[in-house]
Amino acid sequence: MAKKLITRGRLLAGAAPIVVAGPLAKLALAEDRAGEPAGSPAGHHHASLGHAAMLGEQAPAVGGPRDLDELLHPPNALPHQPGRVREYTLTAVDKEVEIAPGVFFPAWTYNGTVPGPVVRATEDDLLRVRFVNAGSHPHTIHFHGIHPARMDGVFEIVEPGGEFTYEFRARPAGFHVYHCHATPLKKHIHKGLYGAFIIDPPEPRPPARELVMVMNGYDTDGDGANNFYTVNGRTLYYARYPIPVARSERVRIYLANLTEFDLINSFHLHGDFFRYQPTGTGDHWEYTDTVVQAQGQRGVLEIEFANTGLFMFHAHQSEFAELGWMGYFDVRE
Amino acid sequence: MIARAEAPPGSRRWRIWALGPLLLLVAVVATFAAWGGSLTDLLGRTPPAADEFDIRRVEFQPGEIRIRVTNPQRDEITIASVTVDDAIVPFRIDGDATLSRLASRTVIVPFTWVEDDPITVGLTSSTGIETVEAVPAAVETPTASLASGAGYAAIGFLVGVVPIALGLLWLPSLRRARPQWLVAFMALTAGLLTFLGVEALSEALQRQAALPSALGGAGIVLLGVAGSWLTLTAISHALSNRGGGTAAAPLGGIALATLVAIGIGLHNFGEGLAIGTSFALGELALGTFLVIGFMVHNVTEGLGIAAPVAEGESRASLARLGTLVLVAGAPAIPGAWLGGFLTNDFLGVLFFAAAAGAAFEVVLEVARYVARRAPGGITSPYVLGGFVAGVAVMYATGVLAA
Repeated sequence: MAKKLITRGRLLAGAAPIVVAGPLAKLALAEDRAGEPAGSPAGHHHASLGHAAMLGEQAPAVGGPRDLDELLHPPNALPHQPGRVREYTLTAVDKEVEIAPGVFFPAWTYNGTVPGPVVRATEDDLLRVRFVNAGSHPHTIHFHGIHPARMDGVFEIVEPGGEFTYEFRARPAGFHVYHCHATPLKKHIHKGLYGAFIIDPPEPRPPARELVMVMNGYDTDGDGANNFYTVNGRTLYYARYPIPVARSERVRIYLANLTEFDLINSFHLHGDFFRYQPTGTGDHWEYTDTVVQAQGQRGVLEIEFANTGLFMFHAHQSEFAELGWMGYFDVRE
Repeated sequence: MIARAEAPPGSRRWRIWALGPLLLLVAVVATFAAWGGSLTDLLGRTPPAADEFDIRRVEFQPGEIRIRVTNPQRDEITIASVTVDDAIVPFRIDGDATLSRLASRTVIVPFTWVEDDPITVGLTSSTGIETVEAVPAAVETPTASLASGAGYAAIGFLVGVVPIALGLLWLPSLRRARPQWLVAFMALTAGLLTFLGVEALSEALQRQAALPSALGGAGIVLLGVAGSWLTLTAISHALSNRGGGTAAAPLGGIALATLVAIGIGLHNFGEGLAIGTSFALGELALGTFLVIGFMVHNVTEGLGIAAPVAEGESRASLARLGTLVLVAGAPAIPGAWLGGFLTNDFLGVLFFAAAAGAAFEVVLEVARYVARRAPGGITSPYVLGGFVAGVAVMYATGVLAA
């Protein structure tokens, strides 16, 4: 739609400019961290970058402070007890969800949220997931893990109005995902049919403050590229409402990537390092501050914060961060 | 028959009868509005609105980007999110975020943009549709101040008034020219006016195409062309009556020169408008070469005014000539102001269309004059050659201003 009245100007090729909104950032930080010493690490982090301006009231995010608790905090782990039945009901519903203030996305959801609810079991539990399709298109649930072919969510397409019960033994222990596998696959995933799936090991993980983060994107104008990026479904939500954690406390994050269209997504933590266990399986832990995941990849992060203050976390693709995938931990004594 | 008998022609009753179809139309429209939905049901669902914005203008001020946006569609549209170079940015709007049909808003984004860098702004509707506008190079937009006002006035003066005054200095030389050569210069005037008319018409049509579709349509151009054509026709009749001649007599001398000046003046208003807008939006580099180009281009316009003056029997006073220069050249100044400080694309279309109509009308006046006065008539080689030369000179000097 570019209109040129007289195109006698010369284009100047150059690098895309970097957003600077420093004064805003400082203002916001000064307000929120009034009790902190001026030299607090959070107050100086990336203060000159655009997305640093997005904190607290400055961050355009949808909803109230506890809206996403169901998605952020998984149900409690249960002790190992082979043969125990764990029942879940997931209902596919078409629902318009507000992903950024005033921006509505006509989503396909499990139980009304994008991502869907966290499904959790302990290894060797018998999982019985009743799937009801109340949507307008055929859907399935395809769980990652080890299970019979007929429980794979590929062939048993559930028509609108129909239902199907998936039943299988939960294994292997680790952190997995589930998503719709009806075709066209790209459409069924990016419309919002996915979620986190935790299988706890027989030997329980050490006690920790547990969080679930599902990275995703939304192509709101249907051009095959994402317009917004989030964790747990709403842009800049954890910038608006930083996640409170205690210093030295063990924080465990179940991190999964279900972003469609983009090849990878990533997680970067400011001001500290974490241990990363890919897929939540095996004995190999990487010590880092940045991990990269392709679509469907996931892993478990563990961290004990060394300092108090506000610590940013975001995709280290700057574009994703500035299109909504950014938040803060509020580390307190 | 009875009605006709009751209301003989000439009675005022015809006005009341004329209301009949209008009232019926209102009734039909109201009926359709109330029950027309069922017709839509018969045909199937209507597609959703495109929800695309029309970004009219992007301005850059220190620490701030201002985006002028219009809702081009029938349905309402809401500004929900704003991005700059693919990053969500804080913003405010000078009014409600929801725009009704053809409503406009300015979105203000606090942003430290990088001088001369390309930059892309995006507006996302509540339905998630993103409209982007790519700016080739971010350059500070001049604001309305005394200095910038004087700057635009200086540009308008240089490209409008100065060259026409210079062109008019050919007058003494033309006075001494043989009649067939004088007629050749008159034909040259017609040629250059035709050139200006075609240029203005093309510009008007281009600008019309860029308008929001609801406002667009070649009809606006016709409105402008017809409006100025008819106005100039009326003026020409008034002038020729004042001169004591009959309404049918062609204009000559100062009167014809005045018409030519008006036609050129309207064109220069449009030229000032285009230059002002382009400078304001950073699309035009203010170079010495460009101003020189416009000056050379417009000198010919002065010659166009001089030719009918030289043809006239009476000598024109210096004040008269000065007025002619101002009528033809000075409109470039308000044109530059309007283009530089205001944003009304609709007016731009109308002005260019008016310039085209005026130019063509004056061509007709000149042709009538030449047809009557030229030794050898309108098809003499002097006349034909002069016309072609007028077009060719305008084209050749126009290359300088490109």
